[in-house]
Amino acid sequence: MRKQAVLLFAILLAFWTVLVGAVNWPLTLVGTMVALLTVWFWQDLGPRLPRLLPFRGLLRLGYALVLMVGWVIQANFTVAKTLLFSRPAAKPIFLLMEPNLRTNWGRVLFATCITITPGTVTVDVDPESGRFIVHALNHETGIDLLYWRLVDEIIYMENALAARKALDAGEEEKHGMATGGSDRLGVSSPVAGHHRSHGS
Amino acid sequence: MVRMLANLCFLGSFLAFGLGTLGLFRFPDSYTRIHAVGMGDTLGVGLLGLGLFLLSPNWLLRLKLGAILLLFWLINPTMSHLVAKAGLIHGVKPAADTGVRKG
Repeated sequence: MRKQAVLLFAILLAFWTVLVGAVNWPLTLVGTMVALLTVWFWQDLGPRLPRLLPFRGLLRLGYALVLMVGWVIQANFTVAKTLLFSRPAAKPIFLLMEPNLRTNWGRVLFATCITITPGTVTVDVDPESGRFIVHALNHETGIDLLYWRLVDEIIYMENALAARKALDAGEEEKHGMATGGSDRLGVSSPVAGHHRSHGS
Repeated sequence: MVRMLANLCFLGSFLAFGLGTLGLFRFPDSYTRIHAVGMGDTLGVGLLGLGLFLLSPNWLLRLKLGAILLLFWLINPTMSHLVAKAGLIHGVKPAADTGVRKG
């Protein structure tokens, strides 16, 4: 939690510094205050944010983003072709799909990628069932979405993050046992409790 | 050479925005018009940014452009999703020949 807040503060301050384009104390002071205020305002969001991906997951995310650029360019040409040459101009469909994504951040990432690709827009996502309602410009675009490789990439990242979480939890438990605390029995020592409250 | 490349980017951006605007008139309903506008928001803004990137005199300006583009591409799909969802909630009807398919 604290680590996430510090990271968010650092990102916001870096963003501010880049946008103002100068480093002097009045500007940095204002930037620091605005960044602190923003971090404080969004502190409830912290526990809902995903942890940082492990290095291999980050590499995979970068790879997926590079692929996305290609897909977006391709989709632009498809929409332009539909717009200029298709009669009637569009044969839209609403597509109901349930990709095998387990986490909310994975679903948000997938929904964002669908919407940023011209020709498809995520209309709704059910957080309970993970069902997506997607509007597609024509049938082919909609069908392509069902076999989109991006789903596999996001599932890989979800698995990487779950593995890291399990590893962290194992280490935390080991640390708790070493210091005499036991989370499962609900009799954690003050040391173990202190460690957990700052580590999450 | 760089200026010529930048001008090509601006021309591409102009075409993407032009086609997006044409789509507003050609496409039959609000949902399909979002797709047309999406062209300007992705390729149009991307090429505009690339053109400005090429003409930028220093790296700080390029970094700023990158940050603005990143922010834009994060906000744009969120807003498109909001418009589409608001349309669905408030009963905006899709075009008559819109199909429904379960995947």
